Amino acid sequence: MTKQKISTVSAVMLTLSIVVSYITSSLPRTFINETKSATLLNIIYITMIVLFIILLFCKLLKKFPGLDLLDISKFLGGNTLRNIVGTLFIAYFIISSSIMLRNFCEGLVVVYYPLTNYIFIILMFIISIALTNRLGFQSTINTASIVFPLVLISAILLFCGNLDNFSFRKIYPVLGDGAYNTFVLGLKNIGAFGGICYLYFLPPMLKEPEKLKKIAIISVISTGFFILLCVGTLLFMFSFFTTTDEIMPLFSAARHIEFGTFFQRFESVFLLIWIISFCCYLSISCKFATHIFNKMLNLSDMRPILNIFIILIFAISLLPKNYAVSNFVETHIYRYLRIAVGFILGMTILILANFKKRKVGDKH
Amino acid sequence: MKIKKFITNIFNYYPNHTHQFSLPNNANSFQNTQNENNTEKKIFTSLDINLDYIKTKYNLLINSDIVTREFILNARGKQYKALLLHIDGMVDSQILNDFVLEPLMMRNKNNLFDGEQNRVISEAVTNNITVRKVKKFNLADYIENRLIPQNNIKQENTFEEIFSGVNSGNCALFIDTLDIAFDIDIKGFKQRSIDKPENEVVIKGPHEAFVENIRTNTSLLRRFTNNENLIIESLEIGDITKTKCAVCYMQNIVNEDLVAEVKYRVNNLNIDSLLSAGQLEQLISDNNSLGLPKAISTERPDNAVQHLLEGRVIILVNGSPFAVIVPAIMIDFLTSPEDRNLKSIFANFLRTIRLISAFFALLLPGLYVSVTSFHIEILPTELLYSILAARESVPFPVIFEIIIMEISFEIIREASLRVPSAIGSTIGIVGALVIGQAAVSAGIVSPILIIIVAITALSSFAIPDYSFSFHLRLFRFLFILLGYIAGFLGIGTGLFIYISMICDMESFGVSYSIPYSSMEQLKNTGLILPPIWKREFRASYLATKKEKKQKDISMKWKTQ
Repeated sequence: MTKQKISTVSAVMLTLSIVVSYITSSLPRTFINETKSATLLNIIYITMIVLFIILLFCKLLKKFPGLDLLDISKFLGGNTLRNIVGTLFIAYFIISSSIMLRNFCEGLVVVYYPLTNYIFIILMFIISIALTNRLGFQSTINTASIVFPLVLISAILLFCGNLDNFSFRKIYPVLGDGAYNTFVLGLKNIGAFGGICYLYFLPPMLKEPEKLKKIAIISVISTGFFILLCVGTLLFMFSFFTTTDEIMPLFSAARHIEFGTFFQRFESVFLLIWIISFCCYLSISCKFATHIFNKMLNLSDMRPILNIFIILIFAISLLPKNYAVSNFVETHIYRYLRIAVGFILGMTILILANFKKRKVGDKH
Repeated sequence: MKIKKFITNIFNYYPNHTHQFSLPNNANSFQNTQNENNTEKKIFTSLDINLDYIKTKYNLLINSDIVTREFILNARGKQYKALLLHIDGMVDSQILNDFVLEPLMMRNKNNLFDGEQNRVISEAVTNNITVRKVKKFNLADYIENRLIPQNNIKQENTFEEIFSGVNSGNCALFIDTLDIAFDIDIKGFKQRSIDKPENEVVIKGPHEAFVENIRTNTSLLRRFTNNENLIIESLEIGDITKTKCAVCYMQNIVNEDLVAEVKYRVNNLNIDSLLSAGQLEQLISDNNSLGLPKAISTERPDNAVQHLLEGRVIILVNGSPFAVIVPAIMIDFLTSPEDRNLKSIFANFLRTIRLISAFFALLLPGLYVSVTSFHIEILPTELLYSILAARESVPFPVIFEIIIMEISFEIIREASLRVPSAIGSTIGIVGALVIGQAAVSAGIVSPILIIIVAITALSSFAIPDYSFSFHLRLFRFLFILLGYIAGFLGIGTGLFIYISMICDMESFGVSYSIPYSSMEQLKNTGLILPPIWKREFRASYLATKKEKKQKDISMKWKTQ
């Protein structure tokens, strides 16, 4: 009897599925708002920085083969630190899912269901992840592997379908509001690569843990390419002054696709794919939160407490009073949370653990 | 009491007892079978050694249909130990008894005749010295020419040739002291002479189907396989019926863990009766709430053998003309036995059509409901006008309209299955009238809906597997409901749950959604069939002992 593990390609798909949810909500808007015509340059710059960080991450993990961040935290500060780190990451996964869910649902209310209360739309997602959370971890990974190629096709179609509407001059001036804004203030956009913080927990689940470096590098480059594709579509199509007003910018771009007079207005098909992908993201976050909780408390059976995380996501997503509040949380707080937890916390633990490892040698 | 039980059920903790089994799906599990002794093995002069060799090669301890009959043969007044080897169900027992065993065993003129009278061929006397030319006695020739009154008999000196004959329905006679064996043609397997397969019709393939007799079915497998590595293990299921079943597999190909798991499940059935392969399929498969089939059911021996050679396990049930094949993945239910007989370009075209059919059968009505209720903008203006015009006279909401039509269609389909065939055509006429004309004329449904229902129905007929088609028919209603509740949001969340549940499923340790979910470099597993010369590998997820089923260059004639 062998327990199935995650293959290399599936792991890449998993990290990419996370970024899809960011892309379909407000991420392109944030990018374009802050770096204007230098957005594409900023994305390439950010990708290179994240690539450097991820190489450092792989180097730091080299001394802990097959271990995830929880195991490394335990090595560094015992069970106490492990539990603190675990709790922080659970909170991060739950809060991020809740905020994204609320924003996505608010977007859906605006574009398709103006007469429906957003709670019902949130409930649709909650029910779907409640049902799938009872299934194995492998099921979520496999679903992400099936769904992401569809999302990628939709993004490519979005780009190609809108080629007629593109005005490539919109990348000028190349440096947007200036080099400082693009390369220094633009560093805040590093949060777009928040998907890589899921990599911290992947090593024990991988079929070939030695390929983590390959997974990480491919994930970063693919994420960069995907963001470039989606944000590029928006940048070339709309003036960045109008784009900022859109709730779901990619959805607006999809409305302009037309092939002849018969094939027009396909945005709802894109939306169908993004909805499935968003469900994937919620399910992945929920599964990771459950997995961390399970590992922290060493539970043999998680079924009785599975729904607690889902109820938490539901409850937190209802907290913002309206779309303005939830949007503020996403654009001004959540992005820093992504950087703090995804990059700073994880990397700090890895660096300290490496120091300790060097100090105590190979005794442990 | 019931309330107490209800509350207990909600709040009590019940440990998770699920039976888990998974096959390793990496190439490391492939066992090296290159060392198999493929050299031709000569027949031994000792009967006991021959018997031991046969026992090993045919796995007589577990193979239920291989028969060895030891007896004493009379020839020229002397007695020799002899052995008959044949496969039950493939030989004609009457011929075997009357024209092989009886002449050899019974004392009669032929075998009592010592031959001394005829030994001298010629005699010459020179200088009072008599020179006689004496015919050297040859037991093998003597038996062939005098004792066995059979029209087709051959002397073979290798086991390979003998086994080939036995596998194709002949009987082998081994005699102590002889280093040859006789391959006697007494084929007598039953063949379905009248009926063709009813459910899996192919144009270019064989037109033979399994029958109700298990022994006939095993003989069909033997004949198609024509290899001694085919193991057919017999067992009985059901405390009352004691139904005979046979677990069949190629011992040099199949993963042994898979065989063990199948036998474990089959042997651990505590039931009174087993009357069909359909029941067995349900009893040995893991439960799934989607109702998807987890075993392939076929009535075609050629299809069964194809799977057997791929490294799967077949289970036959006495009294049922179907073979149950495990494990099965989702793609198996979109493939037809005909695909292998066609050029890959045509086969792939048909498979794509079936995939589209599956999509339509499951989602088309749901998509129609959601588009007409929530996403009208997707429709071109002209089409939208014609739909609205057609629906103008219909007083019902679209959900009511489509459910009426779908249920009516299911009723007609069920009725056409149940009525005697003589009045079957009447059902078609009534159905066409009710669905096609009357409903539209009466203003109950719109004409465009008839098109949707018709395409959906035709799509469900294009699915090769009945159980899979059934599953799509049933879940179509769920998607109609979701489409009506929330449009593409409902369909999207429903699809996500559906895909997740499929991805969670396993059939005998193999992921049901392979190869599209695992994203590994699996060989020969996809929906797209490569050209016949490129099908070198067995499906990797089966983790078979032999990875390859043909050489890299299978069409050697092209390279010479």
